[in-house]
Amino acid sequence: MAHTAVAKKQSEPKMSRALVRQETIAGYLFLLPSLIFFIGFVIYPMVMCIFTSFFDSSMNRADVFIGLQNYVELFHDSVFLGALRNTLIIVVVSVPITCIFSLWVASAIVNMPPWATSLFRVIFYLPVVTGSVAVTVVWKWMFNNYYGIFNYLGKSMGLLDQNINWLGDTRYALACIILILLTTSVGQPIVLYVSALGNVDQSLVEAAEVDGATKLQAFWKIKWPQIMPTTLYILVITTINSFQCFALIQLLTSGGPNHSTDTIMYYIYYTAFKLYRYGYGNAMGVILAIMIAVLSAVQFKVTRSD
Amino acid sequence: MKKQVSAILAASMAASMLVACGGSTSSAATSTATAESTSTASSEAAPAESTADAGQAADITLWTYPIGKWGDSESVDALLADFNAQYPDIHVTVEYLDYTNGDDQVNTAIEGGSAPDIVMEGPERLVANWGAKGLMADLSDLWTDDQKADISASVEAACKDSSGAYYEFPLCMTAHCMAINKTVFEAAGAMQYVDAENHTWTTDNFLKAVQAVYDSGKTDVGAIYCSGQGGDQGTRAIINNMYGGTFTDAAHTKYTADSAENVKAIETLYNQDGINFDASINGGEEITLFRNGTLQMAFCWNIAQQTNADNSAAGTTNSGDDILFMAFPTESGDPALCGGIWGFGVFDNGDENKIAASKTFINFMANSDETAKAVKTSTYFSVKNSLSDLYKDDEVMNEYQKLMPYLGDYYQVTPGWAEARTAWWNMLQQVGQGTDVTTAVTEFCNTANAAASAS
Repeated sequence: MAHTAVAKKQSEPKMSRALVRQETIAGYLFLLPSLIFFIGFVIYPMVMCIFTSFFDSSMNRADVFIGLQNYVELFHDSVFLGALRNTLIIVVVSVPITCIFSLWVASAIVNMPPWATSLFRVIFYLPVVTGSVAVTVVWKWMFNNYYGIFNYLGKSMGLLDQNINWLGDTRYALACIILILLTTSVGQPIVLYVSALGNVDQSLVEAAEVDGATKLQAFWKIKWPQIMPTTLYILVITTINSFQCFALIQLLTSGGPNHSTDTIMYYIYYTAFKLYRYGYGNAMGVILAIMIAVLSAVQFKVTRSD
Repeated sequence: MKKQVSAILAASMAASMLVACGGSTSSAATSTATAESTSTASSEAAPAESTADAGQAADITLWTYPIGKWGDSESVDALLADFNAQYPDIHVTVEYLDYTNGDDQVNTAIEGGSAPDIVMEGPERLVANWGAKGLMADLSDLWTDDQKADISASVEAACKDSSGAYYEFPLCMTAHCMAINKTVFEAAGAMQYVDAENHTWTTDNFLKAVQAVYDSGKTDVGAIYCSGQGGDQGTRAIINNMYGGTFTDAAHTKYTADSAENVKAIETLYNQDGINFDASINGGEEITLFRNGTLQMAFCWNIAQQTNADNSAAGTTNSGDDILFMAFPTESGDPALCGGIWGFGVFDNGDENKIAASKTFINFMANSDETAKAVKTSTYFSVKNSLSDLYKDDEVMNEYQKLMPYLGDYYQVTPGWAEARTAWWNMLQQVGQGTDVTTAVTEFCNTANAAASAS
């Protein structure tokens, strides 16, 4: 009996190692499909993108190595520089507005009765779950030069003398794009902020208020630090979404009028899939990725120091 | 830990930006599904008559753009059944492309070494694009003297390259035109400026008619649409025709839209009451606005629009106004209409047997007793003079046939075409925003000619 017990004790580590190995193998096997997919559809194209950006790469023609020429050309391309400017305008305007508006709405609805909070969450989240094409087409109707509701209301209220070609006029087109982008961007941040604010430790807030803190002080000193991770996430996601603004442009303006709504993502698409200049398009992709990475790093740095 | 996770997330998102622009092979991939049908008649139908080619045995693929009912599997299956009745050993698999994703699908297939055997489209793709890149098989042997005698010289010229190699055998064609709301024109007293019988008018009368409609209270008469390239042949045609300008030189080597005639036409349109350079709509949207009565004329029109009865009776607007198709106005009274020529090209996939079988298929569809049926399936007109009475029992088609002699130069085969098309609507947008016309068209020509030189 004692011999059996000793033998069992001795064999336990051996079985455990086998079990660990077995579980490890099983784990990797479970991981394998995702890994293959990730390598095949993310890592490989990413590497190819960087690699191809150093080539004059076009459809049906052998690639020619040209070093950094695509990158040099980029910074002499007035359309690209215009697209870069437009993209930055979209980011600079839409990201702060999205974050501030979302936080304001979330703060306003978080303390409402649960049914009211849910109702507002649904209302603000609807544009997110509605098909982007459908939403965009509706906006296109509303901005229509001839029968759009904005022109109708503007003229009815005496604000406009004549119809404005909202999407066909360089003075208004980009602003219209930003407005639409905002309406489709705020849903998710509001839901996240409502959740984050709901998780704030109320005892700390109440203690601060008992000690004489104002609402603003309670928010700034207690709630804000606690929702900082959520804010960071929203900042990063909104920034990336703003940089990636493409569908709106494709569906509404094709970059016009007169390139006034070109964004880098749209110009990448146009260059790569309309002109079939893959190398040049990939160089833009690399620049855009670097910009997003740098901006995200800055956001991390700033929010971390907070 | 949360920050580390967030950092990884951000890095992944940034990295995913790169994914959208991967290598040349993957980047052209498209997820758009294509309808596919395979002719199964071959195994069932007995050969109606045996010919010298009937012994060919091959599995070939046909990719067709939506050229009338050549984009409809039921119609194409009927044609294939007839084909297989005569050629039971040639199996044709059909894929139906659309104009949004079709080019990407074909180019992806070319890159992947799986190009179709036959593709049905026009010279701008078959000749100027894939033919120029050496991807197509020469179809000179299909262009017999009899065929050349039966097909107009301009159509023939569009189907071959400068070396004389034929990369398309044409089946059908149409002329793009414009249209007016006849009911509104009558109410405005503008029909006096229109030759309704011949569907023509002079530039002077066109401008008077626009002014008359505008003065009648219909302030949105027409739109030089320019939000994209959709329907851009209409804006090119109105501008080129008004004072006899051209889009390219006769040899199709350079773009000539900066001529004095074109500048005058653009300036005249820009200054004309009722004509709006609209960067928020394209050709399709212009048609919608014309059909719903917002605009009183459409520069993007053809027989398919004239016979369209989706929302109202054919030849009427949504509210029942009569639509009259018109040639573009000219000073000379001799319009040059942009045409569409559609036919077959064969990819040189290195398999002589498949190329031979493909040619057999083309001969059957475009040069046999079946041709009339194949042309009618396209809903357009035959390229052959011998089939000019194909629609003699159809009043509208017969009337539209009057425009066919006005078919102008098929300049869409000029090198750098893709860049030129984009530069064109961008140029119109610039004009619409107040840029000097001469400056804008000069910039257009510089861009387009640079692309032509680089091709």
